[in-house]
Amino acid sequence: MEQLLQHLVNGLVLGGTYALLGIGLTLIFGLMSVVNFAHGEFYTLGAYAAFATLALAGLPFFVALVAAIAAGALLGAICERTLLRPLRGHSIDTIMLVMIGVWIAMQNAELLAWGGVARAIPHPFPTAPLTLGPLNIAPLRLFVVVTAAALIALAWLGIHTTRLGTAMRATFQDRDTAALMGVPIGRIHTITFAFGSALAAAAGALLGPVFLAYPSMGDLASLKAFSVVILGGLGNLAGATLGGLLLGVAEELGAGYVSSGYRDAVGFVAIILVLLFRPAGLFARAERIG
Amino acid sequence: MLKRVMSTALVALVMLTLAPAGDAQAPIKIGVIQPLSGPVAASGNYVRMGAEIARDWINARGGVNGRKIELVIEDNKSDPKEAASAAEKLIVRDKVPAIMGAWGSSMTLAAMPKLEEYGVPMVVETSSAASVTKRGNPWVFRISPPSEMEALGLEQYVDRLGVKKADFLAVNTDWGRGSIQAFGDMLKKKGVQVGAAEFMEQSATDMNAQITKIKATGGDTLFLTTAVEQITLVLKQGQEQRLTRKIVTTGGSSSPTQLIKQAGAAAEGSYHIVFFMPWFPEAMPDGKLAKAFVDEWNKRGNPFEGLTEGFRGHDGISTIVEAIKLAGKDEPKAIQDALWKVSFTGVNGPIKFEKDGPAGKESGQSKPSIFVVQVRDGKVALPDFMKK
Amino acid sequence: MIARAAVTALGAGAALTAPWWVANPYHLHVLIMAAIFTILALSLNLLLGYTGQLSLGHAAFFGIGAYTSALLSLPPLEWSFWIALPAAAAAAALAGWGIGRLALKLRGAYFVLVTISFAGVISLISINWMALTNGPLGLPGVPAPTLGPWTLRTKTTYWYLVLAAAALAFVVCHRLVRSRIGRALVALRENEPLAESVGIDGTRYLVLAAVVSAAMAGVGGSLYAHYTRFVSPEVFLFSYTVTMVIMVIAGGQGTLAGPVVGALLFTVLPEVLREAVAWQWQMLAYGIVLVVCVFFLPRGIVPSIVAATRRAARTAGGPPEMRSGSVGPLKMRRGPAPE
Repeated sequence: MEQLLQHLVNGLVLGGTYALLGIGLTLIFGLMSVVNFAHGEFYTLGAYAAFATLALAGLPFFVALVAAIAAGALLGAICERTLLRPLRGHSIDTIMLVMIGVWIAMQNAELLAWGGVARAIPHPFPTAPLTLGPLNIAPLRLFVVVTAAALIALAWLGIHTTRLGTAMRATFQDRDTAALMGVPIGRIHTITFAFGSALAAAAGALLGPVFLAYPSMGDLASLKAFSVVILGGLGNLAGATLGGLLLGVAEELGAGYVSSGYRDAVGFVAIILVLLFRPAGLFARAERIG
Repeated sequence: MLKRVMSTALVALVMLTLAPAGDAQAPIKIGVIQPLSGPVAASGNYVRMGAEIARDWINARGGVNGRKIELVIEDNKSDPKEAASAAEKLIVRDKVPAIMGAWGSSMTLAAMPKLEEYGVPMVVETSSAASVTKRGNPWVFRISPPSEMEALGLEQYVDRLGVKKADFLAVNTDWGRGSIQAFGDMLKKKGVQVGAAEFMEQSATDMNAQITKIKATGGDTLFLTTAVEQITLVLKQGQEQRLTRKIVTTGGSSSPTQLIKQAGAAAEGSYHIVFFMPWFPEAMPDGKLAKAFVDEWNKRGNPFEGLTEGFRGHDGISTIVEAIKLAGKDEPKAIQDALWKVSFTGVNGPIKFEKDGPAGKESGQSKPSIFVVQVRDGKVALPDFMKK
Repeated sequence: MIARAAVTALGAGAALTAPWWVANPYHLHVLIMAAIFTILALSLNLLLGYTGQLSLGHAAFFGIGAYTSALLSLPPLEWSFWIALPAAAAAAALAGWGIGRLALKLRGAYFVLVTISFAGVISLISINWMALTNGPLGLPGVPAPTLGPWTLRTKTTYWYLVLAAAALAFVVCHRLVRSRIGRALVALRENEPLAESVGIDGTRYLVLAAVVSAAMAGVGGSLYAHYTRFVSPEVFLFSYTVTMVIMVIAGGQGTLAGPVVGALLFTVLPEVLREAVAWQWQMLAYGIVLVVCVFFLPRGIVPSIVAATRRAARTAGGPPEMRSGSVGPLKMRRGPAPE
């Protein structure tokens, strides 16, 4: 029983991090229909930004988070402006291919800049875990989950209550009408991509200290993010959050009770099952696909 | 006067006959295949750095057979297909007479058919899978220990470590699996109970599920086999879950210095099987050489934590050069024959090849030295039971 | 018309005489890999270019083919290569059928994710099911094919083998695309509801395309296994799928020559970079080349060349070219007109 509880706790904490990865991508993939294979690289960027701020400049943790978000937003905006906007009329596959190129280029640039050795990112939290009965949680992880929840809530508020958010949703629902209503389409695209990338970078800054920072850390992150997005339904922030939590718990339980070797398979099988029976995502209301 | 002319002429004649024909001054090329990009890029680069030190030292001493050596370095991108392509390019385009590589066991195994196809020897510096020297490829010469040898090296300390019930956590690759097999067999022979055997994917970062399971087995020792980054994560996550048992890392890629830096207090008390002890080089079989290597490494600004892998590059290149010296020429078949006669001491210790594998097409396997160190008070030290 | 025939003849001539004019065995090795990847790219193109469905799990079919062929020709079975190859194609085709059936209701992004997940599961099975696949230790010593008394071990003989296979794959694609089935696939790609309204069963044709595509990839896998003579779980690496996708899209999806050009270019490119650029910069350069290529030739190399030559040949007037546009998610896409 204790093992089960610990597994659940592990799974929720892990899932919170998956959710954070997913909400950025659900905006980019779900709303903009950009198959962004470079999403994981923004995650990596955030981690290295945090490393630079914390380990090299010695500034406090909060500054590192802000720095990561800024870096992600800036690079995301540049990416959209220079690469995606000129290709906007083209097929989704062409855009996907460009993002693959960005993925390869960014990862190898990180490798060149920082070297292949993993970096530990210092953090201000005590390493001794908090113990509640038989359960153990590290303070850092708790902080990550809480911050992730806050960021997700902020994002949701931003999209659903501000004018900018409304403009974003309008643009992706019906571009021509939105344009007719005076929404600056080009700028909305840039802002959305920058927003999604900033969220990925924030995830990197939060998770970097939990794990380690190394150039290929984004690959697995991308894959999990895509899974979460599909589980939750494209463009569905709340869905992505719940989907992330679900994936984390499913993986933990799978690894704990089925087999640790097949751990990732649990996630894959879960996705296949969901798509077979609830293709619009677990949490979508009855809507048509596409 | 005449005598002088005669002796000069004689000397000149002798030198002319002794000097190798053709391009006497062209450097001897040695191929190097390592993972320089991808998930294990750090390790591959450490080996490369060690190889470069060997090259520079050898050239400073005048090279071999009067010629300098040059390293032709290829990246196998942690992909067996690339390892095979790199081997082919080195042999056919660069015409190297010998290669060192290819770090991971699957990459080495993928490159091995090329060695037989073209008849070029390769010195294997890191791979640990038993099959590398058991496949009947007479062009393979390994200086790193297969997992079985490593386990044998630890056997004498098992009692003194006080291992009664052991669990395993290993990376899900040939190396991790081979290690569990080898150490499991050795422990069972010593009467130790073997509990859980858990795996983690090479790129996994969250091992909490595995740790939770291991906690429940009631064992007293955890054998950990993976690269230093994952070891760091396991130690940290073990600390978070209050995993209190002995930890022994195997495989030699644990880089205890890096562990201390990145895992901090979580690394305290852990044991590590290594093949090089840069913290006390004087304790190595050739203390002076080891110390000189460490000093040179530090002088170049290479990261200290890379020494536990970098020495492999040095020893690999030194082995090839020793063989070229014995062979007297840089011709692959001659080098292969010479490798069987090689006997010298590298940074790790004595290097001499014995026959391994099916009769008639044996590969060469050396018996490297194996050491155990412990992290105590935030520093690397010799465990009590190893102090003489 | 004449230009196309001339290019084809030139290419065929060069290919047939390759072992003689190629500078050294290493280059021939690169060409053999290019030929194998041509087969893989052609197979992916069937799905991607002609049905409009993106499969990001294509490496799974490749890997299934490689493992099947290797396992059948190693002890204890030691079957002949000429049986192992079709068996590999059949095994991969079975998997393709499974994916096709699975994707019964799914299109676009969901289909993509199912293919990724499927490939992920197969990859994990190959790593963990030690008894069958020997796990990460791989299967070394896969025998070379034998034809009567000869062993096809040398590069030259293997080159002709893969060349024949690639030519066969091309012919199969060509016939398929030009047949009624091909036209149905294109109709589905262009406007699925409309196609269905005239009685074209979308799912049935999608499954058919998946089966043929997978079988072809399986053949590629078998050829790979018997050439490199070592199969390990790395064949399921996502990077192989990515490479295939790059070849098809950059070469020009929905065309027949596109994948061939793409396969050649992106097999040769890394090797050229290996020689031209220091190892630190190779992959970075590769990524940049890719971005630049897509940027300037967004519809792919072959369609861009074709369009450019058409523009040059045309004097005035004539029908405007079909624009590729994206209307919503992956489902509704337009590509260049089928050849």
